[in-house]
Amino acid sequence: MTGADGERATDGDRGSRAARLRERVESNALTALAVLTSAALVVAFYYPTATVLVEAVVVDGVVTLAVFAEVLTDPFYFGELARLLSGESPVAVARALLSPDRRLGIVGFTAYQAVLSTIASVALGLPAAYLLARFEFPGRRTLRSLTIVPFVLPSIMVAVGFVATFGDNGTLNAALTALGLPPVDLLFTLEAVVIAHAFYNAPLVARVTTAAWESVDASAVETARSLGAGPVRAFVDVVAPQVYPAVLTGAALTFVFTFGTFPIVLALGGFQLATVEVFVYRLVRDLSYAEAAALAIVELVVSLGVLLAYLRYEARNRTRTRGARPLPRRSLVPPAPTLRELLPRAGLAAYVLVAGVIFLAPIASMILASATGGDGALTLEHYRFLIERQQTGAAFQVRPWPAIRNSLAFAAAATLLALPMGVVVAVLTTRRYRGRTLVDAAAMAPLAVSGIIVGLGLLRGLVFGVEVAGWRIAASGAVAIVVAHAVSGYPFVVRTVSPGLSGLDRSLVESARALGASRARVIRDVELPLVWPAVVAGAAFAFAISIGEFTSTVVLATGADAYTMPVAIERFIGRRLGPATAMGVVLLVVTGLSFVVIERLGGETRGL
Amino acid sequence: MTTDESETRRRRARPHTRRRFLTAAGAAGAVALAGCSAEQVDDGGDGGGGSGDGGDGSGGGGNETDDGDDGTDETPTLTVATYSSFIDAPSVSPGEWLKEEFESRYDATLEWATPDNEVNYYVERAASGAGIDADVYVGLTTEDLVRVDEQLDDDLFAEAGDVDGRDAVKGGLRFDPFDRAVPFDTGYVSLVYDSTTAEAPETFDGLLDDEHAGALIAQNPGASSTGRAFLLHTINRFGDGGVASDGDGEAVAGEDGDPDYDYLDYWADLQENEVRVLGSWDDAYAAWSEGEAPMVVSYSTDQVFANMEGADLDEHQIRFLNDQAYANPEGMAAFADADEPELARQFMSFMLEPDVQGEIAQRNVAFPAVDGADLPSDYAELAQEPADPVTFTYDELQGSVDAWVEAWERQFAGN
Repeated sequence: MTGADGERATDGDRGSRAARLRERVESNALTALAVLTSAALVVAFYYPTATVLVEAVVVDGVVTLAVFAEVLTDPFYFGELARLLSGESPVAVARALLSPDRRLGIVGFTAYQAVLSTIASVALGLPAAYLLARFEFPGRRTLRSLTIVPFVLPSIMVAVGFVATFGDNGTLNAALTALGLPPVDLLFTLEAVVIAHAFYNAPLVARVTTAAWESVDASAVETARSLGAGPVRAFVDVVAPQVYPAVLTGAALTFVFTFGTFPIVLALGGFQLATVEVFVYRLVRDLSYAEAAALAIVELVVSLGVLLAYLRYEARNRTRTRGARPLPRRSLVPPAPTLRELLPRAGLAAYVLVAGVIFLAPIASMILASATGGDGALTLEHYRFLIERQQTGAAFQVRPWPAIRNSLAFAAAATLLALPMGVVVAVLTTRRYRGRTLVDAAAMAPLAVSGIIVGLGLLRGLVFGVEVAGWRIAASGAVAIVVAHAVSGYPFVVRTVSPGLSGLDRSLVESARALGASRARVIRDVELPLVWPAVVAGAAFAFAISIGEFTSTVVLATGADAYTMPVAIERFIGRRLGPATAMGVVLLVVTGLSFVVIERLGGETRGL
Repeated sequence: MTTDESETRRRRARPHTRRRFLTAAGAAGAVALAGCSAEQVDDGGDGGGGSGDGGDGSGGGGNETDDGDDGTDETPTLTVATYSSFIDAPSVSPGEWLKEEFESRYDATLEWATPDNEVNYYVERAASGAGIDADVYVGLTTEDLVRVDEQLDDDLFAEAGDVDGRDAVKGGLRFDPFDRAVPFDTGYVSLVYDSTTAEAPETFDGLLDDEHAGALIAQNPGASSTGRAFLLHTINRFGDGGVASDGDGEAVAGEDGDPDYDYLDYWADLQENEVRVLGSWDDAYAAWSEGEAPMVVSYSTDQVFANMEGADLDEHQIRFLNDQAYANPEGMAAFADADEPELARQFMSFMLEPDVQGEIAQRNVAFPAVDGADLPSDYAELAQEPADPVTFTYDELQGSVDAWVEAWERQFAGN
């Protein structure tokens, strides 16, 4: 990517005036990008979201905290904690919390299931990162590219795949029965929800961790080994400190996502497992905005709290690296039949089996469902439906090809926008200054605000617009969608790039600056190449977020022209799930190919 | 001609869009401004934008609500807002037929608008002062009207007034006491069950039998209309126990005649018997289709679809509990500040004509709202109607429905 940029710059280089201009642009590029990033955030996130959240404290034109007080002291939402908030003695509350019939409240339960989901996602993500970062095998790069495919699947697709895999009559039970084992009753339980959350988020943990692991400098490990450290000691002292910030990144993001979870909980669990977002959705639907906004603020505070706690931790636990040469990968075939060589590989084999059940079986079931007719026989009729809809669909109907085209165009544009935004914010937030926490919080907020609230905000703030001096300024359609997607996706770029950047040896930057390079140039030519795997991972995430985005897209799309693949899937859901699953498989294939292309473009070797 | 027109518009929009992408790719944040539109709020248009055309400031390419300035003194355009499956469903939907038929009978262009938030979108528009930008809404339910009226001080919808065919609408379906919404079809929410695995009970009480433990999948009444209809049906059956009465002791009495057993008691028993309450109708129907449970809350027209797909009808049996089903009549109403109020009224009359009523019923897979609709004689074989349809009126729902749903949520999800 840097190479292409360089060429474009040379193309435009006509004469010394252009060169001087470029110099000036370059020296101010960072400031300019920071300003533009802030502008995009204000227009496509802060202002729209604020129009909704303000309703929690302004009711009928009067500023009040009554709605908040009511939510905070409601045992339905806060369980035993509500009693504390309504003034009961902490001792009594503590005793109640320890009793077996304690109430967690909806907020407490939501946090509880998010913690479980985070543990499951880390447990399932780490072995994948280990496999992808440390071993060499055919198809490794493609597999790494495809890791985050589950991340983009619409919840209805995952629900279909999960019911077909883990249901009473599902593949898993068929396999268990064939092995003479008792069937499991997984659906409509918390376990099913946690596994589904791991399906979505373990890939995230894996991808972020792989990127960090691949950036570990081999020479540091070699130095440790030459100083007499055993392999375990070298891992604990050298590799782990560079990898586990990334694991924490993945864990923190997983917590935030699963804390704000919505359709999948009800699809695979049921209403008895309802989370906060379920109530935000219902309240918005019933136009009870004050309570919806108050709940959304509670969600925001919890999610941001977790993100900030993690960021503080990350800032305090930096490890210095000048990382350049990655660790050599090992072969999957053990070089010698020793226990030390065999044990990790046997562990990986067991992991692959589990991963096969949790990740591959639901996707395989989805693909099978797309090729199964009402009578249970294999058929291509659902794909024929897609072609037919493409050919004969009315102008106002959603057709497959424009949806594919829009998805790709929006995702490409959003990624190109999210990358500079994310890098700029990463650079700004790796410096130390007063109020950095505030900047961090502001930058990460798009991850922490309820998607439903953002959607409503975009409707009010962008689609309907604002009246300024007798003019109504509004924005919708393709450009607004791209900006909204970039705003949702850029925090991933920040979170993948930032740990690496902050760990870079400052002397590298300082010497480059001393040699006369502008700050922007140092970032481009020195820092980014050193954390390149993280940049590529960030790009893949930004792309994935855009491809999978639904709420903002339907709000901002005007007419049938700006619809994307997830919207098409939603439209094609009917009595039979065939057409929707066929479109889902199209989404699967298109995004899978895109990820492979992104990673190939990103390359594997770094610039130094 | 209309297709050509929209073709051209789309083609015109495309390079536009592409150019904007290049901007997006090249100039990073600068695009934030590129998709903007600015319109003067008070119509002091400088010749270009005449008054009363649909230019509402929603920018972006290929907007189906853009009227095009050239059309002012030619064919008028009627913008009809509805829910998306009314015009775009994988099986059948009435949208395309209605548009063609209406345009052939009247000198007008019909354009569909399907905002994702449905009626709430127009409530938001009205509240934001952005102008309504549509003439008719198709697909209003009783609850929609109650909600809209509670939220907005001014009327969102106009009185129907002189709409031909309104007299033919069946008495039991007229749900708007203020005569704004005119019903155009109705559906019934009932149980659908797979008779090859289990026989459904005849009554609500039967659902509590041990043999039906874990056998029913319903939907979240807070998000799904079938789920809400089923909840309302249980309230009709067992009473509300005074949940919505604000302590004045006045309870909605249930048909079961037992004042000490209300819908919350029934749901506690149902939950005890492992009813599954999933999120949406899609979730529920998908789980049911996979055989997770033999019964699902759905529509009484299920066999029409099953027959279309060539499925085994034994696996798609309808059960009306206590011979009843909850009726969900759908209505249409003209917006109070429609640009084309007269055309809107003509459209509503058109929707009530016997042949159109028959087409709507078949293509929306529902039941006609008027007596004497043109329907194939065998339609009733597959689309079943209950002996005793029940439904709550506008007045009964007003001030109650929120409390009913909330009390249910608090009981069912008490963590």
